[in-house]
Amino acid sequence: MILLQTIDLSKQFGDVHACDRVNFTVNKGEFLSLVGSNGAGKTSLVNLISGHLAPDSGRILFEGTDVTFARIHERIRAGIARSFQIVNLFDVLTVFDNVALSIFSRERKIVKIAALADLDRDVRREALDVLSQFGLAAKSAVPAGGLAQGERKLLDVALAYALRPKLLFLDEPTSGVSTREKTQIMDTVSSVVRAGAVTAVIIEHDMDVVFRYSDRIVMMHEGKFLADGTPQEIRANKNVANILLGAPLSA
Amino acid sequence: MSILIIQILNSLFYASVLFLIAAGLSLIFGVMRIVNMAHGSFYAVGAFVTAWLVGRAIALGVPAGWTFLLIPVGAAVVALLGIVIEPLLRPFYRRAEEYQLLVTFGLLLILEDVMHLLWGGLPLSADPVMDALPIMRIGGLVYPAYNLVVIGVGVVAALLLWAVIYRTKFGVMLRATSQDRRMASALGLNVGLVYVSAFAIGCFMAGLGGAIIVPTQTAVLGMGIDALILAFVVVVIGGLGSLQGALVGALIVSFVRTAGIQFFPEIELAVLYLIAAVVLLVKPTGLFGTA
Repeated sequence: MILLQTIDLSKQFGDVHACDRVNFTVNKGEFLSLVGSNGAGKTSLVNLISGHLAPDSGRILFEGTDVTFARIHERIRAGIARSFQIVNLFDVLTVFDNVALSIFSRERKIVKIAALADLDRDVRREALDVLSQFGLAAKSAVPAGGLAQGERKLLDVALAYALRPKLLFLDEPTSGVSTREKTQIMDTVSSVVRAGAVTAVIIEHDMDVVFRYSDRIVMMHEGKFLADGTPQEIRANKNVANILLGAPLSA
Repeated sequence: MSILIIQILNSLFYASVLFLIAAGLSLIFGVMRIVNMAHGSFYAVGAFVTAWLVGRAIALGVPAGWTFLLIPVGAAVVALLGIVIEPLLRPFYRRAEEYQLLVTFGLLLILEDVMHLLWGGLPLSADPVMDALPIMRIGGLVYPAYNLVVIGVGVVAALLLWAVIYRTKFGVMLRATSQDRRMASALGLNVGLVYVSAFAIGCFMAGLGGAIIVPTQTAVLGMGIDALILAFVVVVIGGLGSLQGALVGALIVSFVRTAGIQFFPEIELAVLYLIAAVVLLVKPTGLFGTA
């Protein structure tokens, strides 16, 4: 069942085609990896879908509804959330408050904003539950600015997850961490999103991570889709190998 | 001894009013990152509106004791004014500071002219509010009980503001938006609502400062500019954007000023500016500022 579909989605920066008539589909429940070299258009595609960029042309359908020109918070309410390549946490807030903030913003109930934050039992229970799932419950009272890099990456994903998305985009969730931490982060993220029946799309450069965790892999190159298939099919695709090794494409 | 107690009470009275103005200024800067030159004018509008309302109420035969209720009404009118003005300032939040200073200075001039237009050039008084409370005796000296009410309002305002910022959901949103409005927006937070709410609270505090002081002095044109200058001294010392800084800065300015009036009246303001200059040299972010 198709959850998200883009139809001829295009975005150009000067002479550069960040996305060139991209037709992208994400099926419900899958764990999909979006790969490609730097500048291939992966982050631009996610920015277009999450509402951080406006397309030049094309359409975005989410659960059959056109969200091409919906605002960011409308897309979040529809069920599209994302994390960022560069971790953006609220360092002055505690780990708990960072997650609670996601829950508040999801509620968007003006009448409730004057309520005492730490006395809202539902929010407290949910925030601690999310932190437990990401292995961060013990750090809930620590300011986010005091977390180690791997923990910051996990909290960044937890913020997006707390928005209760149907479709979660993760932009390089393991960049800038050690190989050992990569496995821990991906094991955690993968188990949480699968347990929560959340459809996930990750942008990732580490092909070991991509092949290990993905149900499907889509490769982008110069704003277009170059390959789309299971990990086995992508492994066997010579063009993918050539791109990853920097060799010219075969005809 | 009685004189010392009265001087301490005078300092606390003055600190309460200064805190109300400076905390509003700091709150608006902390969230919107805009130094609002018109902030003193909101204080003046609070004073004028309250004095005018008190005058009308007394003329209509309302008992003086009931006119206390017009103090929060005066502050609420300023908050409403803030709700109208904030969206007009929003395009300038991302502009360079010189644009923000020019625009808010222009707003200051407009508000001063509007006050002139509405209430003329003559001072307005709200004496009946103060006269409704008794005069106390401290030792052999007299002291108006109303001043204690002002001190109490300052303490309650500080506690309430602290609770709003550090304990409520809105406070979490406020602090998050203050740190990174782009990320707050990316999380789906209604940043516009946070902006207008923070601006309205800041204006309410300034308006409350004006409303609460006008029974002890008259509302006059230019009072907002005097208040703005002192509020700047407070936030320079305490740190712009810091609630604790506004509180400590207001206390320092008030106690130094009270001592100055008593012991060195000729250079009272110069000493305050000197303290602000020293803080700027030693700790440019102020005692509690972080950036």
